[in-house]
Amino acid sequence: MPASRRLLATAALLLPALAGCATVPQNPEARAYYHQINDPLEPTNRVFYVVNDALDTVLLKPLALAYHYGTPEFFQHGVHNVLSNLDTPVVLANDMLEGNPRRAGDTLMRGLINTTVGLVGIFDVASGWGYPKHSADFGITLAVWGVPAGPYLYLPVFGPSSPRGVLGIGGNYALDPFSWFGRGYVVQDFGFTRSGLTAVDTRAGYLSDLDKIKAQALDPYATLRSLYRQHRQAEIDAAMHDETWTVPDWYPQPAK
Amino acid sequence: MSATTRRTLLAASLAVAAAVPLALPTPALAGIASDTAFLKSMGDQLVAVVNGPGTQAEKQAKLQALVDKGVDVEGIARFCLGRFVRLATPQQLATYIKLFHGVLMRSITGHLGEYKGVGFTVDKSAPGDGGTIVTTTITRPNNAPAKVQWVIDQVDGQPKIEDVIAEGTSMRLTQQSDYAGFIAQNNNNIAALIGAMQKQAENQPGA
Repeated sequence: MPASRRLLATAALLLPALAGCATVPQNPEARAYYHQINDPLEPTNRVFYVVNDALDTVLLKPLALAYHYGTPEFFQHGVHNVLSNLDTPVVLANDMLEGNPRRAGDTLMRGLINTTVGLVGIFDVASGWGYPKHSADFGITLAVWGVPAGPYLYLPVFGPSSPRGVLGIGGNYALDPFSWFGRGYVVQDFGFTRSGLTAVDTRAGYLSDLDKIKAQALDPYATLRSLYRQHRQAEIDAAMHDETWTVPDWYPQPAK
Repeated sequence: MSATTRRTLLAASLAVAAAVPLALPTPALAGIASDTAFLKSMGDQLVAVVNGPGTQAEKQAKLQALVDKGVDVEGIARFCLGRFVRLATPQQLATYIKLFHGVLMRSITGHLGEYKGVGFTVDKSAPGDGGTIVTTTITRPNNAPAKVQWVIDQVDGQPKIEDVIAEGTSMRLTQQSDYAGFIAQNNNNIAALIGAMQKQAENQPGA
């Protein structure tokens, strides 16, 4: 996906140019808070938050709403499942890089079952067969390896992230076999369709949650920063303390 | 290291390992059991109200009574204000806690309809930060099961819910970040937060 690469390059060039740093407060308690939130680029991040929010309001949210209300539910489930099945190679690679063979086994079986019995991933048969879905990406992998997240970053288009998250996005791209193929129109169209659908599918999944946050939060930027970090930490904890059994649901279970 | 030292060390570590379970105060274990029973009973009552008969207003009144009885609203309010608890005047704090009560009630009762058909199971309990952590699985029709943890602590000898952690995100921590962010954006002025909460209460009545 050269488009996303161009976007990343633009973001990387823009960031230092726009980098307005927050001033470190003198008051000890305020300073402790400043270090705790670890958001030295807050003024710049808030600008990108406003830009993204505007883009979302005029573009992504209407698309997601049209998709949510204009297409049948089984179609949305199918699209979601196909997209998540296409992520199988990246999830599998990261499971292995995280040193989670049981999770890797789940991912492999999910890919095999859903691509065949699940008709190229339209149906998530594997979840019902004892191979539940889990999160794995290169950002989580780096965290498992001990790389700290670094300060908070609110990226244009991508949203909440961190320097580790940016490396994660790059790592995922490099690990994705679909990014290794040629540069023909078919490949390019496939890439665009997939990215576009992923954006709409993801946004549609957060319709009511994001509306609630924006309606209830007094500072949605700070609320999303906290939610993003907590959610990310939960995913990392799950990857670090994997409790998956080697045997699937249908096989007699060992005593815990 | 000589063999004797190794043996001594081994014996010592075995003794420590054996002593640890004995050293654990039994009230802690009893506390976990009673906290879990409390949460189970609270959950059963909440589910009964949500899925039971009655008008929306009746259900809201019942939920309010349950929340007042089983949730440490004031403790959560203080937690969410963070370091500004100490900076607020007693009057500001009292107004804030009253407003926070409304925020909490609205966030619970505002989405009552979405929880029709809700059920839950208690999976496990363990001591954790700030009290007993009871892990539950919440099921709703047409929704994937969600892992929700409850933090239970003793307030004046009574067990109370201190926090709800849904899929790894803590309610009170998120709320604290929201308020801290807002106050920081408004020159560390607590009155601005109270004003915004008052406006929110006027715009979203019904609780």
